[in-house]
Amino acid sequence: MRKLLYLTCLSIGLLLSFACLAQERTITGRVMSNVDNKPMTGVSVTVKGKDVATQTNANGNFSIIASTGQILQFSYVGYTINETTIGSSNSLEITLTSLQTQLGEVVVTALGIKKERKALGYSVTDLSAQELMKNKNTNVINSLAGKVPGVNITQFSGSAGAGASITIRGGNSTSESRQNQPLFVIDGIIYDNSTSVPGNTGTDGLSRSNTTYSNRIMDVNPEDVESLSVLKGAAAAALYGSRAADGVVIITTKKGAAGAVTVNFNSKMSTSWANKLPEAQTGFGRGSYATNGVFSDLNSYDSWGQKLTGSDPTYDNIGEFFQNGVIYDNNINVSGGTNNGSFYLSGSNFKQTGIVPKTGYEKTTFRLNGEQKYGRLTLTANLAYSIADIERTLTTAGLYGGGGNGAMGATYSWPQTLDMKNYINPDGTQYRPFAGTLPLENDKDNPYWIINQDELTSKTKRITGGISANYKITSWWDVTARLGYDQYTTSDYTYIAPGSAVPPLYQNGRLSKDLLDYTFLTTTVLSNFHKKFKDFDTHLMLGTTSEDTKTSVQNHWGYNFITAGTISFNNINTSNKFFTDGTSQKRLVGAYGEVGISYKNIAFITATGRNDWSSTLPIENWSYFYPSVSGSLVFTELLPRSTILSFGKVRASWAQVGKDANVYATNTYVNPPYIIGGFTAVGNQWAAGNPIIKPEIQSSWEVGGEFRFLNGRINLDYTYYNSQTKNQIAQPRLAQSGGFIFSSLNTGSVINKGMEIALSGKVISKKDFGWDATLNYSYNKGRLGTFLPGVAYFYPTDAQFGTVKAASIPNGGFFLGMTGSPYLRELDSKGVEIPNGRYQVDPTTGLYKVNANNPVVGNREPDFIGGFNNTFRYKKFVLSFLLDIRKGGDVYNGTEYAMVVNGLSKLTLQDDRQTVTVSGVNSVTGAEFTQTYNANQSYTIGSTTVAGTNMIQRYWANYAANSYYFITSVNWLKLRSLSLTYDFTGFFKNQNVIKGISAMAVGTNLFTWTNYKGMDPEVSAAGGTGGSGSTGIDYLGVPAVTSFTFGINITF
Amino acid sequence: MKSLKYITLGCLLILGSASCKKYLDINTDPNNPNNQSVLVQNRLPWIEHYYMYSSGVTNFRTSCQAGIFYAIAAAQNTFSTSWQCSNANSTTPYQTWFVATSSNVVDMYNTAQKQGAYHYMAAANVFHALGFMQMLDVYGEMPYTEAATGNPSPKPDDGKTIFNGCMAKLNEAISLFSKTQETGAPALSAGDLINKGNINKWIKLCWGLKARYMLKLSKKSDLYNADSILYCLSQGPQSIADNIVEPSFNNSTVTDYLIGDPVVTNGNWNYAGYGSNQRISQFYYNLLTNMKNAGVTDPRMTKIVPAYMSNVKLDASGKVNSYTWTRSIGVDSYGPATRLLKAGSPTSITTPTYATANANIKYTIANATDRAAFIAAITAAGKTFTTSGNDVTVTYPAGSMYINSTNYVLAGDTIYVNMRSNSLATSGNAAQPATDVNWYVNAAAYSAGVVGSTGSFQIRPVSDYEILTYHEMCFIKAEVYMRKSDNVNAYTAYRAGIQAHLDMMQAKLTEWQGSYGTTNPDMKPMNQSDITAYLSSNAVAQSAGALTMSDIMMQKYVAMGCSIENWNDMRRFNFSAGNIGGYGVVYPGYDRGPLFTGTAQLTGASKTDPKYWMRRWALPPVYEIQYNSINTLALNPHATDVNIWCMPIWWDCATDDEYYGYLK
Repeated sequence: MRKLLYLTCLSIGLLLSFACLAQERTITGRVMSNVDNKPMTGVSVTVKGKDVATQTNANGNFSIIASTGQILQFSYVGYTINETTIGSSNSLEITLTSLQTQLGEVVVTALGIKKERKALGYSVTDLSAQELMKNKNTNVINSLAGKVPGVNITQFSGSAGAGASITIRGGNSTSESRQNQPLFVIDGIIYDNSTSVPGNTGTDGLSRSNTTYSNRIMDVNPEDVESLSVLKGAAAAALYGSRAADGVVIITTKKGAAGAVTVNFNSKMSTSWANKLPEAQTGFGRGSYATNGVFSDLNSYDSWGQKLTGSDPTYDNIGEFFQNGVIYDNNINVSGGTNNGSFYLSGSNFKQTGIVPKTGYEKTTFRLNGEQKYGRLTLTANLAYSIADIERTLTTAGLYGGGGNGAMGATYSWPQTLDMKNYINPDGTQYRPFAGTLPLENDKDNPYWIINQDELTSKTKRITGGISANYKITSWWDVTARLGYDQYTTSDYTYIAPGSAVPPLYQNGRLSKDLLDYTFLTTTVLSNFHKKFKDFDTHLMLGTTSEDTKTSVQNHWGYNFITAGTISFNNINTSNKFFTDGTSQKRLVGAYGEVGISYKNIAFITATGRNDWSSTLPIENWSYFYPSVSGSLVFTELLPRSTILSFGKVRASWAQVGKDANVYATNTYVNPPYIIGGFTAVGNQWAAGNPIIKPEIQSSWEVGGEFRFLNGRINLDYTYYNSQTKNQIAQPRLAQSGGFIFSSLNTGSVINKGMEIALSGKVISKKDFGWDATLNYSYNKGRLGTFLPGVAYFYPTDAQFGTVKAASIPNGGFFLGMTGSPYLRELDSKGVEIPNGRYQVDPTTGLYKVNANNPVVGNREPDFIGGFNNTFRYKKFVLSFLLDIRKGGDVYNGTEYAMVVNGLSKLTLQDDRQTVTVSGVNSVTGAEFTQTYNANQSYTIGSTTVAGTNMIQRYWANYAANSYYFITSVNWLKLRSLSLTYDFTGFFKNQNVIKGISAMAVGTNLFTWTNYKGMDPEVSAAGGTGGSGSTGIDYLGVPAVTSFTFGINITF
Repeated sequence: MKSLKYITLGCLLILGSASCKKYLDINTDPNNPNNQSVLVQNRLPWIEHYYMYSSGVTNFRTSCQAGIFYAIAAAQNTFSTSWQCSNANSTTPYQTWFVATSSNVVDMYNTAQKQGAYHYMAAANVFHALGFMQMLDVYGEMPYTEAATGNPSPKPDDGKTIFNGCMAKLNEAISLFSKTQETGAPALSAGDLINKGNINKWIKLCWGLKARYMLKLSKKSDLYNADSILYCLSQGPQSIADNIVEPSFNNSTVTDYLIGDPVVTNGNWNYAGYGSNQRISQFYYNLLTNMKNAGVTDPRMTKIVPAYMSNVKLDASGKVNSYTWTRSIGVDSYGPATRLLKAGSPTSITTPTYATANANIKYTIANATDRAAFIAAITAAGKTFTTSGNDVTVTYPAGSMYINSTNYVLAGDTIYVNMRSNSLATSGNAAQPATDVNWYVNAAAYSAGVVGSTGSFQIRPVSDYEILTYHEMCFIKAEVYMRKSDNVNAYTAYRAGIQAHLDMMQAKLTEWQGSYGTTNPDMKPMNQSDITAYLSSNAVAQSAGALTMSDIMMQKYVAMGCSIENWNDMRRFNFSAGNIGGYGVVYPGYDRGPLFTGTAQLTGASKTDPKYWMRRWALPPVYEIQYNSINTLALNPHATDVNIWCMPIWWDCATDDEYYGYLK
């Protein structure tokens, strides 16, 4: 690796010396319009990054002093900016493209096929590198938030290295083992973006909600991205067949440009801090009151204790636990090329310390892209290597089977009267406030102990590459062959220090290592035919793809270190060491074709078909066909030219795509054998297979239009879509009386309907001042259709926290629903609950009656989401800000719930804990019921006498049970990013080394205006869960962060 | 140019041919065999293990309900003390039966059927009956006919259907065991951990189970058939040699895939003797120390009630030099409950700490009476202490176990010795050998040799797991004869039952004494003289004429110990309501205690109201009630009611009308 670094430096040095040789001279030329092919007057011509500028005269001519390798910029209102690098010639002929005809703009579509935007019968959103870099995030999908209508991004947590999930137009699969995230394709090769959990709760306490996981698209260096295309609907993605159901994100990485070698270096530094922390009460101490009113604080971490006086010390345990995070982000790239070849070489290092001490994330990437032409043959090669390491901590309950809590869970429950920083004894053992009376296995680990003594890391090394060859057989026929490879290994290391609050067997330390190896190999051969017949333009594409995906997971674990201080499996007895091995492999072969015909740039129609053969399905079902058809009509071509509506297009498409099954879902497997008394015992695993499984089938249609007003000053894009995914392949947790925890099903449907609107415009476009704005809006309504009879709710079980569970509700209910345990309200004469009626009070408990049937309590899907993206340009300043808007969608504040349960919530300070009142109707008689419980009195509850102090605790436990108290329909307006860039290039006159230099300051998540009372409503308690996921559930997570970044960017 | 065309064409051809069946036929996990290929002789030990595991947790938790154990853990404490029944108890027995066992029973039966392995089919039937009957006993209704086959939303069945289904399976098992297997079918001995392939014992197990199950119908005048039960008994186990027990081991640290518990150990131990949460209940303790107020200690008492080392003196090297065994007393959760009430919490019994050095604890006792009583108690115990005003400072010398709390109410809790035993897989003491199953507070205590608990006969990791015993058969026979008013035969069976249990224990203790007995005095045989004295004392009825139903049932209770059958029997006699037949109060002293808070769960107003008592468990709140709510509520709309806990199950009702009345 180090070698590569030296090579990079060496080549940079060499290239710099070449760059100095250039000399200034006079360049002349003419600028023409593409609309009428006539000369343009008043076009501004500048040497990029310099204070040298002129304008074209009445004949469209200009003259300017510049040198080889510099870039000339040509700009004019209503036209796209043209940038031309000065080569050997002294005279230039420039044609500017009118924004009005920008529909001639080419976008990247499925399989990397470039098409004119106006020919598309479906919606595609593309983003440029410039747009992505405005609020650069090391996780490229985070930079999409608020920018693409129909796309929903959810950050897993605020911890360093935490991933994010992306869904396009809602989820299509219900089951937690089924991802609803789009396929990622980089330079034509499928790029894995899974969020793998190689460990398990049994051997190292690792599950989605317990620590930090990345999604693997984070391995991409965002600086390498040239453009990003989001294919949202099934028709756009149909050529990807089995993997198209959730949309596709196509990323094209940078290439070298013909001309002089360019070196770009940028360096950024950020600081970040928790944008909001939960607040803990400091009015009452530790302990609790028993039924008979006797107070005890023995072994108690609860905060239901006695009122604190001024002399009782309290500690801001939560506030002092977090630190400021720091990021250093350095990037360099070198690119260049000739008419026949180009190269792009980049390296980056991103180093982050988290807001939780001792956590961090470091990523180093290298990329080499090259292209070479030999006559009609073009060869392209890409190679990327990345190393991504996370230092993390257990956040919530970790080790299975007693104790093993997480740092965040403990921080949000640590009594404020105990100094949490006091975590270690002089002899190095854990300081435990109840040592002696509370057995270690029943104790709670101090968060500082967890972060300082335990060690949890996850390290991923990844190499991806591809080679493709394109051969133009004739002017109308070319063939492309591509070989792609994606391989990574993730090594997780989990060390639980001796003396941690875990079961006795593990109290002398425990070590676990998980190794995940992912290998993906794909081949593609495509043949394109393109021919014009008079007014008709036709094309035909035929292709075939094979994919081979292999994942192996090895898990080693052991406990009880023989000698202290050596943390190694070598220091563990053989009888205490264990090893498991798992492999999964799937293969897929696809053959596909596309045929299209267009008439005079007015009408376009395209049909595609793909047949897949997937190894994951039983042989009788493993071949299946996906068709699509789409068309568009540029109706303004049929109307008289108008400056008001200068361009108009309507489009429509229909497609059927699908998803194959998860690997090995056709069989029921058995566990590794146990030896008991000399007998070998073998039994079923907890998941049942399904030998007759069929693929999921998604049928979808969309209609839309694109409209340009005032010669392209205002653009509008509208889409309405509808999709239905049938034969849901699911392995839900349903009744265990079925004999299994999970059973593979093939039933039911998911329905998504929604709308997307994007409005963009050049509000102001002057020489020194410009304002570009994009406003987008979208909503999706996801519903679960029919489902297995007898099943009321469909739970992704990785997402159950506090009193709520993420759930999809059959027969037309919410796909992103939530079930919970609300108070029951009074009943009408028919025995039906009256909406907003009074609460029922259970006379046997003296408290509100809770609905134990887990009814639906919320819908986590927003009413709509939107973004308002602005760029202001004033001379050399560029100011951008992005507002992210959300209306509606329920969020459950499980953190507050947990703090009410343990008595730390400020809510529990009500009336100084002296009195609570229960008021409603008697659940048995229906009569009015009001009862006040005072701390200094006793009450007869049923046949038991209960002290008022205990009754007040019971009141709050009962309060916590009502899910509705913690659910908010959340609206937010977030200032997601604010950035200011200044171009200094003009300061460096009369030199040829520096072609550009700029500095930028960026604030991220600076303000959030929201009605949500918890930490941050943009939450996901168990990142990467499939099905309806865990968005909208806030539970003991690492708080979201606000950050401020300063950076410089230099181009040589 | 030309060659490129060929290359392209070639690539296409390769891809084309690669898409053939062979390329894609890889969807079989190479690391895990699937359920089609598992040998029946490997499946049976799995079923035997997980059935034991499932019934172990059920035995433990129902024993908390029956008054055998007192538990500190919140969920089980609601069964042993507050009776505010918590459905946190409901999940594990259900999950370990349905997920870990039931689908294997179905698969083993089917595989065996294909091979003509009739004995394995029969064994599958036996476990079908054992498992589903246990589910019926506990939950009343749940999926049965549609269960265990991968249907994730099976419809539940009522108790009558389940009961009859289990009986039919036992009848089929008896006939299958009597058949000769087809050639090539594996011998039962190849996979039979329990009976080592002894078909006769299996057949006796079937008949014995039929007797046990038919006895459940004692409330039903139309179905209860004394002569049928007696016939079954005549075909069932005839001596302790016929006891059907599952051997358990302490030779592995392997833990299981589902719960993460040790695999080779006894299923009762996995729950009752695993952690520090269990103590003996005073109700059970009194039966062992003062049965029928006879003032005679049961010879089995010291084998069942654990002891710990007290008055420990360490030698210069820090090892135990001298000590005395202190036997536990029972936690009084049903009587006056003085200790529990004083601390104000039903879960307040506190686990001791080991003093590596002398430890001084200062108790501040404002109440003068309490202070005087406390000083008297520690003086009597020979403790060193100083007083100053309200403060009493006690010195606990190095090597002693003490309660590390300044709350004087808890100071005497060392007398409530926990029921825990260590295993290789859970002790945390690397040096502790497999032959020492004592519990030590921690590694320092182990190193010094200070025993924290000697454990209890039935719930050690190496205890035999009692599936069906001769002594139970005797007590069933005694009860049936008693109900027939045949006191003479009842008396004979009653005495035989007591003797059989003593014999069984003595045999096991004799087996243990050579290895485990060297470190644990409670794993040595009983004194024959104590046995003789006990059998001739007033603790045991001395004549047919003096025999009462209560005598039979209390002796059965003592002998069954950690077993669901005690709770089953108590339901049949309406606990201590005294309204069954003319037998009066069969379980005197068993009642709601002063810490009772289960008014919402148990809604009966008086003892004769069936709903006064714990009569079933709620279904698992998540895995059945929520995940299968529509089907569950369709059969029993009260399945989610808070007071489901006091709704009698089918065999606990006198008539079907009564039962179906509850389900309306």
